[in-house]
Amino acid sequence: MTSRVELKRASRWYGNVVAVNDVSCEVGPGITGVLGPNGAGKTTVLHMIAGLLRPSAGEVLIDGQPSADNPDVYRSLALVPEREAVHPFLTGLEFVRMSAQLQRLSDVDAAVARAIALVDMSSAQDRRIATYSKGMRQRIKIAGALVHDPPLLLLDEPFNGMDPRQRLHMMDVLRTQAAAGRVIVISSHILEELNDLATNVLVMVAGRLAASGHFREIRRLMIDRPHTFTVRSSNDRKLAAALLGDESVFGVELTEGGIVVRTADRGALTRQLPRSARTADIRLLEIRPTDESLESVFSYLVDR
Amino acid sequence: MIFDRTVLWLTMRQLFARRRLVLAIAFSLTPLFISLIYRVTATDADGAAGDFLAGLVREIVIGTLLPIAAVVFGTTAFGGEVDDGTLIYLLVKPLPRWRVVLSKYAVAVVATVAVMVPAVILPWLVVRTPEMSVRVPLGFLAGIGAGALVYCAIFLTLGLTTRRALVAGLLYVVAIEMVLSRNLSGAKALSVREFSITIAQSAAQTRLSNLPVTLATAWTMGTLMLVGAMGLGIWKLRKYEVAERL
Repeated sequence: MTSRVELKRASRWYGNVVAVNDVSCEVGPGITGVLGPNGAGKTTVLHMIAGLLRPSAGEVLIDGQPSADNPDVYRSLALVPEREAVHPFLTGLEFVRMSAQLQRLSDVDAAVARAIALVDMSSAQDRRIATYSKGMRQRIKIAGALVHDPPLLLLDEPFNGMDPRQRLHMMDVLRTQAAAGRVIVISSHILEELNDLATNVLVMVAGRLAASGHFREIRRLMIDRPHTFTVRSSNDRKLAAALLGDESVFGVELTEGGIVVRTADRGALTRQLPRSARTADIRLLEIRPTDESLESVFSYLVDR
Repeated sequence: MIFDRTVLWLTMRQLFARRRLVLAIAFSLTPLFISLIYRVTATDADGAAGDFLAGLVREIVIGTLLPIAAVVFGTTAFGGEVDDGTLIYLLVKPLPRWRVVLSKYAVAVVATVAVMVPAVILPWLVVRTPEMSVRVPLGFLAGIGAGALVYCAIFLTLGLTTRRALVAGLLYVVAIEMVLSRNLSGAKALSVREFSITIAQSAAQTRLSNLPVTLATAWTMGTLMLVGAMGLGIWKLRKYEVAERL
């Protein structure tokens, strides 16, 4: 049942907007995360793999076959799209049953019951989807996708709208599926979401594949980069002097809005800062990371 | 099988959402009310009931209700799913896209005709005289069925072409069917209404129009428009791509 996804110099543009630019990679069994800020081209990559978008250049292959214009690939592939919309007038059961029937499964009832139980939706299966919460919709979409036991599962931002408990449960479900040898590709714009889940990560920035590799490696690169904090206190000048004595700090700047502190070791700074303040008898008013936006995290990876 | 049972079922559920069902019933009963008023107020004259029924079917049923029902069902068959993105659930299934188009089309046609049946049969029951055999309403329905086949093909494809398919469809009906073809005799060869009337009056053997297009024109142009619109619709869905909202 192993599947193999290959992108060979795949690009996709809409008019003169380039959404995906010359991406080559190979994805095998296990969980692979596609990470990147919004608009980086993650959904375009997923849709190209799913055959819903034809690559403008290059190739996208599943087990050596192009996925576009090839309805047969959907016997071994399932996509959970990001958009929340699911036919609101159907019940959860009807939606999953529809998937099973369109897949022409031999034992529809058994497959439907199994898929719904897998996402823990049996108790709500007879309610109309219009009445579902975001997290429930997400789960019924996943049930619809898993109903035919696809060896390749693509999930576009699957954790959006799930509460922490549902998220943990879904992670368990996905881990079990991966352990069974499935190829699972998950897109996310939040690094921590893929924590303990994805073994491999593809990082996309502005349509390009910026980095790829083992999750822990990518995570280390992203966390151990230089950080900048803005700190306001009861005595900025005195605090700045105290911070300069700290080894983890390599730059301090006095500005109107407070002091800007640069550090190579974010953990050490967050431990040291309150101590320095207390020793110098300074009251801390605000500590704010200056460059925590995803774009800056990802662009650091690109510039590296 | 050229249709997919599950797509037929889903489209049925989409088209007959509760509110639309109420509207469809009200719609299909309009001619009944008009004929009841006629029955109460009219004085009997030779052939008057026949003329009334012919006028009712020509102007109200074929001229107004049929295109509106076809616009609503034809454009909703796909329109809703393209708008809210749920079409993706049909596209990622091992099912050729032409079969999706044909299945949705079949449901739109059946729904349109279903609304038209009471709109023809009930007035006939109210005003009929011994000369008006059952062949009359059935013949009218044959013409309406032919019209529904062509209209639904056009409006289904419109639903795959523009996000404002309902408005575009209504504009089409008003421009081509209600204004142009009635005032410009050359435009009759492009009017689904005219085809419908011609086929209806030939099948019912009842005069509906004084200047109909010929039966040959009706069949030829009707078939051409149907095949053209369906071909375009199938091509559109085959080319359809789910774009990322940038």
